[in-house]
Amino acid sequence: MKTTGIAVIGAGPAGIAAALAASEAGAAVTLIDENSTVGGQLRWRIAALRGLGDGLDGLPACQAVERLEERLAAADVSVLTNAVAWGLFEDGSLAVATPGGGFLLQAEKIVVATGSVDLALPFPGWTLPGVLTARAAQILLHLHRVLPGRRVAVVGEGLDAAELVTDLETAGAEVVLRASDPAQVVVSGDGRVEWVTANGERREADAVVIALGRQPDPELALQAQVDLGYSARLGCHLPLRSALLETSRPGLYVAGEAAGAADLAESFAEGRLAGLAAAGASPERIAATQEALARARSPERSVEVDRLRLGTSDRAQVEADTSSPWRSWGRAATAEGRDNSLARVALCRCEQVTIGEVRQAIEEGALTINDIKRRTRAGMGLCQGIFCTGAMALLLHAERGIPLSEIVPMTERPPARPIPLVSLVEIEE
Amino acid sequence: MDQAHRNQAGDLRVLHHPVLGDLPESRPVQITVDGQPLLAREGEAIAAALLAHGILVCRTMPGGREPRGVFCALGRCADCLMTVDGEPNVRACLIPVREGQVVWTQAGLGRWEGRAG
Ligand SMILES: Cc1cc2nc3c(=O)[nH]c(=O)nc-3n(C[C@H](O)[C@H](O)[C@H](O)COP(=O)(O)OP(=O)(O)OC[C@H]3O[C@@H](n4cnc5c(N)ncnc54)[C@H](O)[C@@H]3O)c2cc1C
Ligand code: FES
Repeated sequence: MKTTGIAVIGAGPAGIAAALAASEAGAAVTLIDENSTVGGQLRWRIAALRGLGDGLDGLPACQAVERLEERLAAADVSVLTNAVAWGLFEDGSLAVATPGGGFLLQAEKIVVATGSVDLALPFPGWTLPGVLTARAAQILLHLHRVLPGRRVAVVGEGLDAAELVTDLETAGAEVVLRASDPAQVVVSGDGRVEWVTANGERREADAVVIALGRQPDPELALQAQVDLGYSARLGCHLPLRSALLETSRPGLYVAGEAAGAADLAESFAEGRLAGLAAAGASPERIAATQEALARARSPERSVEVDRLRLGTSDRAQVEADTSSPWRSWGRAATAEGRDNSLARVALCRCEQVTIGEVRQAIEEGALTINDIKRRTRAGMGLCQGIFCTGAMALLLHAERGIPLSEIVPMTERPPARPIPLVSLVEIEE
Repeated sequence: MDQAHRNQAGDLRVLHHPVLGDLPESRPVQITVDGQPLLAREGEAIAAALLAHGILVCRTMPGGREPRGVFCALGRCADCLMTVDGEPNVRACLIPVREGQVVWTQAGLGRWEGRAG
């Protein structure tokens, strides 16, 4: 068993800020990330940074990573890359898998800064080779320097979709079609993307990028069974936190997009606060950091954070928010929806469970995501539900009228990732 | 905005990029994909080398033969599982190319073929 003062999981902007702040406050810090370098989502984005302060603003995101690495080295943070934190147990120990095996880590405090995953919703053809997530497209374009296709369609209408259009065009691809509503998209082709239809337009294309936005990924905190609250803005549950970002489990903090932070600046500011709080920094320092965090947050997000912290209900917002592409996807996927063309589309990519099969499980009485999972195997594949549980919740909501706020996430159990058996066998006691 | 150039070989690589600059020189690495030789760039992931040459399919799903290719590029979806040097279920989006590597499109759950070489 290894020990550390503060274990920070995830080395994106939130995790790096937490590690730097905790170390600045005198704690021994171990920063763990599954990738080969730190940086999280910064690693593959090229948009100019804003809101991170001196020495970073204005740089393309991927070029800021080196600066952050230098700061971590100077701050004497112990950085473990290629290391997956896959389990958080009752006794507070963390299981970590590395290429060479694995170990258990006992930390006095834990900061979960595991970020988000891309939101994806099923449409006909979404499993064809050539359909990929926004992150996959950015990784190919900027880390591997390969175009995902020459003629590309982009699904989504928010800021992420706009960034993707710029990225694709900057790298020399042609954006042939933009579609805001995934429920209106049909992709077809013989073994790969060849045609995309949306909004009554049909275009030849060789790739389709799904850029619907991001979904928090606080899996380790879910394993620890912390209390959750519903965010109507994101349409999912988030860990409840104190003003110092501590969860209902003492000593366990969640910061950044894993806790629903809206963007980079907020993730960075949250990380800093969680790091200082976990390290027990002086009240003056913490107060100043809280002020900086309040400035980094949009008014809408501030209201949400307060509401989650105080446990007040969000009914009005739940009822009001019926126009998003999420809801319209749910309606289209029901038996009465669109033209039933979604019935044969895979909802769960891994286990190849169709929307029709999930609908049937709901008709036969499934009332929760866990029920659907047990009856159909949807969500039990290698991706561990990250690309399908959102769609399951929307379908439950649309078919049964269960408010999304009452549909709790799947029960999370270790491992958080498929891990090689050696990691279990070789755990050092 | 500067349109990036591509090379004539039908290659999908981004050789010139307005923000990232020119693609640096790299040592070519020869791999074999489904029996055919393929030139990759040192350090890149197997799936990137395949995509650069217009190869999108990494595996077919158990049962229906449905083809799959890179979806998440982060090691999380398992759509890119290939058989590499006899080992099935290798994530082609994460594992780098290596000189002499033997890569096969994986059918279904794949099977062990014993290590080559
Ligand atoms: C297409 C796109 C466009 C965007 N546009 C903007 C924009 O315009 N403005 C803006 O401010 N922000 C934007 N963002 C978002 C911004 O990049 C994020 O807000 C920020 O990166 C969140 O930081 P984070 O540290 O919370 O998470 P991440 O950056 O996601 O870092 C989390 C890290 O934790 C690792 N990890 C997760 N689980 C584990 C585990 N169990 N073990 C080990 N490691 C783990 C992950 O691999 C990752 O490296 C955009 C993002 C995308 C994808
Ligand atoms: S593309 Fe998703 S795991 Fe490789």
